[in-house]
Amino acid sequence: MSIWAAIAGGFAGTLLLTTIIRAAAELGLTRMDLPFLLGTAFTADRIRATAIGYLLHFVSGLIFALVYYGIFVAIDAKGWWLGAVFGLAHGLFAGTALVNILLPVFHPRMGNSGTAAGGRVALLEPPGFMMLNYGPRTPLVTLVAHIAYGAVVGGFVGLGS
Amino acid sequence: MPPQRDSAVDSTLSSRAFDRPPRTDGYAPIRDYAALGDGRTAALVALDGSVDWLSLPDLDSPSVFAALLDARRGGRFALAPEVPYAVERRYLPDTNVLETTFSTADGVVRVTDALTMPDRSLGPLRELARHIEGLSGNVPMHWSVEPRFGYGARPGRVGRRMGIPVADAGSVALAVHSFEAGDAKVNAESIAGRFEAQQGSRSIVALCIAHQEPLVFPARAELEQRLEHTARDWRVWVAGHSYDGPYREAVTRSALALKLLVHAPSGAVAAAATTSLPEEIGGERNWDYRFCWVRDSAFTLDAFLQLGCASEARAYFWWLMHASELTHPRLQALYRLDGGSRAPERSLPLEGYRRSRPVRVGNGAVDQLQLDTYGELLQTAYLYALAGNDLDRDVARRIAQTADFVAELWRRPDSGIWEVRSRPVHFTQSKMMCWIALDRALELAERGAIPAGHAPRWRTEANELRTFIETGCWSAIQRSYVRFSGSEELDASLLLGVLSGYGDPTGERLSGTVDAIRRELAHGPYVNRYSGEDGLSGSEGAFVSCSFWLAEALARVGRIDEAIALMDELVELANDVGLYAEEIDPATGEFLGNIPQGLSHLALIGAANAIATEVRR
Repeated sequence: MSIWAAIAGGFAGTLLLTTIIRAAAELGLTRMDLPFLLGTAFTADRIRATAIGYLLHFVSGLIFALVYYGIFVAIDAKGWWLGAVFGLAHGLFAGTALVNILLPVFHPRMGNSGTAAGGRVALLEPPGFMMLNYGPRTPLVTLVAHIAYGAVVGGFVGLGS
Repeated sequence: MPPQRDSAVDSTLSSRAFDRPPRTDGYAPIRDYAALGDGRTAALVALDGSVDWLSLPDLDSPSVFAALLDARRGGRFALAPEVPYAVERRYLPDTNVLETTFSTADGVVRVTDALTMPDRSLGPLRELARHIEGLSGNVPMHWSVEPRFGYGARPGRVGRRMGIPVADAGSVALAVHSFEAGDAKVNAESIAGRFEAQQGSRSIVALCIAHQEPLVFPARAELEQRLEHTARDWRVWVAGHSYDGPYREAVTRSALALKLLVHAPSGAVAAAATTSLPEEIGGERNWDYRFCWVRDSAFTLDAFLQLGCASEARAYFWWLMHASELTHPRLQALYRLDGGSRAPERSLPLEGYRRSRPVRVGNGAVDQLQLDTYGELLQTAYLYALAGNDLDRDVARRIAQTADFVAELWRRPDSGIWEVRSRPVHFTQSKMMCWIALDRALELAERGAIPAGHAPRWRTEANELRTFIETGCWSAIQRSYVRFSGSEELDASLLLGVLSGYGDPTGERLSGTVDAIRRELAHGPYVNRYSGEDGLSGSEGAFVSCSFWLAEALARVGRIDEAIALMDELVELANDVGLYAEEIDPATGEFLGNIPQGLSHLALIGAANAIATEVRR
């Protein structure tokens, strides 16, 4: 198994995940915008936030690909199907703990269900369980995108052996 | 303890009659609407404080509020005293920020409305801010947001985030973020609240809008700062432009109305902010004007240049070149604000303004042949070059190719400037504008601005075209050019022959045409577009831009006193905040057609400039 294949898969998988989510937004299926959510943690400027957000989003995609790679090595198994299973787990984690518990910890503008409005700075709409606040079809879009991401990472690692 | 009531204000109020502005079957008069805008979309606010039109995220997107087109199902954002009131309003000077003052028997309340401009803070993608100030007494206020996404198709999913009411459908969401405006009551149809505006109180009800992204909930201080920033932005924009002629207030308001219609990302100028407001109450002449018409281009560029709006003129010219590249050398009559060329027309299942159906979106005129557009494009390029701007090699080549195309095309009948839906004919104004196209191409070639290789052919065709107009489109009986070749009908668009420079304006034929139009089509300050058929049932009101064209033509033919007298009357026909719709019913003074109408305001600026020029001579 090649770590470089995992990195290449992480990049390709993130491209695919981003494309799926953007296409879903254009089709009116979701208002989820991961780069916007990430970037506004660092700046109030929308354009800069989007640029920073995309950078962080791709870096995260590579880091998660390395995590997948580590698990592949640890269990001595690989393949696109296993990557897809990881992607499903990853999508469930992202839609529950990651955006609702971990993101508000470091994101200064992320509200949560316990936050009261009326502070001194603007707050972002909290994602809610499985990011349902961003549209009723968001969980489906999230899971499909992450399964596709996992399958690509798994497929690249499989090809790289 | 509530503040003491101001006895001076009370004594004034007690002498007033308090009566809400009337609505007919739930519809406010078109004259009652003021417009808000942020360079991306526009909202219309009625005299009774109801926002009856808002499309999101852009001007040409589906509406969220369309009570203008269906009083029961369209959706609105109402905000007004619960008790009878008298109302006055104005735009804050040199801004598109609207101030409405409600006077009641219990006190006075001021509402300041704006679609705010982005500032340095993280704000919503779009923000409709409504700030409510108690000026005296205690006034019970009620507000209600009834969103109907997709042109009234659905109320959306209503809920709360961090206690803030929100509604969403597909890629659009809105939050109703209020401060000191009562507890919001949320149900499946609306988000509403009640509060009492006391002397010195300051409440806010803001609509925070998201498109394809999570909502942003601003802090109160950010909302207040953004309103100030927005007013300041508008004032800075006005201060950066130059007009020191007569009718300054009307010209400045017209410039601000036009700026509302400029699509900021592309520089395209929408013909109006709305769709399907009728040209005849109950009639079928209802069109979607949220597109950019090439025919308005020369007026737009000329107005921008005359007002000193160089950046807007440049942006508009390059948008026009970019959009028309898609169909080159053929020109469509109109293009989408993003430069796209498709605008399929369809009807919506809405009641229509006072049952004026159909309600259309898209515009079927996109497929018509309208020869005048070529003249407008060449005139636009000519004005742009004349103002000292360079045409790059590619644009210069395309303009020359357009002139070649006109030389081939001008013999064909067309649908004309008024986009008639009857059979195509040889409209005189279309032929005049084809002549203008060839003449301007020759001028540009002589200046070295475009390739001159085909100039001899352009000259030959221009001469033949002039012969066609002078022999086939002139009536010795009317002593005027006529609507189309061989007819005896008149057409106010022939005034554009004077305005665009088709021949000597003081010559017998153009001067005679001005006289004939005034005699046959004008009634006081009102001017009808044409006599004769147009392929549609019913009639229409007087066309506002034709009245201003007549004033400009009178100035240009040297009849300055008549021009000023007419202009004085026309300026008085604006609504209470200085806006014009497309048409006015001469019998009632009622506005008809879409509002605010860019062409009406462009024509006002052109007439004021022409009068200023003639007065200076």
